[in-house]
Amino acid sequence: MKNHDDEIIISYFLRAGVIISVSFIVLGVILMFVKNGGDGFTLSQLSSYNYALNHGIDSKSLPLGLIPEGLRSLDGLYFITVGLWVLIFTPITVVFIGWISFLEDKNYRYVLMASIVLFNLFFAMLVVPRFIG
Amino acid sequence: MSLIFILIKFISILVGSIFAGFIGSLTGLGGGTVLVPILTLFYGIPFIFAAGASLISTIATSAGSASAYTRKKIANIKIGIGLEIATTTGAIVGSLTLVFIDRHALIWVVYVIFGLVLLFSLIPTIRKIGAEVPPEMPPDWTTRVFQLTGQYYDEHLKQTVKYKGVRWWLGEIVMFFAGFVSGLLGIGSGALKVLGMDWAMNLPMKVTTTSSNFMIGITAATGSSIYWYEGYINVFIAAATAIGVLIGAFFGAKVLVRISNQNIRWVFFAILSFLGFDMVFKGLHIINFIITFSLTIQFFISIAISIIMISALYIHTRRKEWKEVK
Repeated sequence: MKNHDDEIIISYFLRAGVIISVSFIVLGVILMFVKNGGDGFTLSQLSSYNYALNHGIDSKSLPLGLIPEGLRSLDGLYFITVGLWVLIFTPITVVFIGWISFLEDKNYRYVLMASIVLFNLFFAMLVVPRFIG
Repeated sequence: MSLIFILIKFISILVGSIFAGFIGSLTGLGGGTVLVPILTLFYGIPFIFAAGASLISTIATSAGSASAYTRKKIANIKIGIGLEIATTTGAIVGSLTLVFIDRHALIWVVYVIFGLVLLFSLIPTIRKIGAEVPPEMPPDWTTRVFQLTGQYYDEHLKQTVKYKGVRWWLGEIVMFFAGFVSGLLGIGSGALKVLGMDWAMNLPMKVTTTSSNFMIGITAATGSSIYWYEGYINVFIAAATAIGVLIGAFFGAKVLVRISNQNIRWVFFAILSFLGFDMVFKGLHIINFIITFSLTIQFFISIAISIIMISALYIHTRRKEWKEVK
């Protein structure tokens, strides 16, 4: 990378992603304890691993489409969900910034390589779940 | 009253995660390699939840500490993204394999594989112990084609280190396995990534550990989204580990830039060997194969074996140093 400011930008993005994510998670944990649970489950159900495992209380029981409603009703579980998904998207921004900076450098070999990485990431997010679900 | 117990449970997972994050960041492994054994062996958390919480927390470690390293311009982002082609592909294959194993109730296999991966990741560590900057190798065609050059300022050596990577193709092969292991075991598989860059591509240790740190996040993001849809992420556990691992990683990153590479590798070895043996034993215990004694006895046997191994290795490397002095 010719432009060395990219490293600073990447560093800011990573930091921002982590801070946003952790804020949501911390808020969600507080809400979860204050309201004694979330998403229709009590806190003791959520916190006992084997009960959760046997009763399907996991990420599968938290549809991403319900996030807006969950946030509006101050449901702690959905705050944590948002936090975790911000976390998942954070490293992707690095690849994206890399992609842009390779394009600026006219380093097309690396533009192609970064594109393949982005393709893999979205393949895992959008295509794979349809097959395993 | 039960609320207090749940709070204590949450905090105890948090503390375990802080420990895992600290060690993970210090070694460039990512917190997961330490976190999964801790969660399964000491907290009794089912493997898939441990793997799910660990993989997503690994992103936090990776992003948190990578934001510090990229600023120092030690990590090589270009080489990292190039190698991510293989790790993300591997992560997809790996997490789908875990889904298959879990659906067929073969989870003991994953314990054994986990332990073995831990133990085998020690081999490159043992062999190259003490090498701060790798011996120079003549650049090959991949050095030019994939632009595998770079430089960084080493605070410990107090000089700018220039380096040239070689054997890009071999790096990619190792990285595919690193990604596979990451998706299969819910860890960042930093050890394999370090192996890929350190051994295969002959990059300096500082560059490999810091680059692997930000690569771990991208690999883990791939696996995490598959884990999410398959229901491997328990929000209660994941919330505690994500925060804990991040706190641990923060302190680990502070220490890493001031530590000599040799120290990193010793910490690496001591903890991993114990956790590795204990995971193998636990896997075999599940199917009552050979090992049928209780978990407590397993625990002490693992400690004994790892103490013997560490001491033997320590004496072995020290003897080399003593010979050199003479």
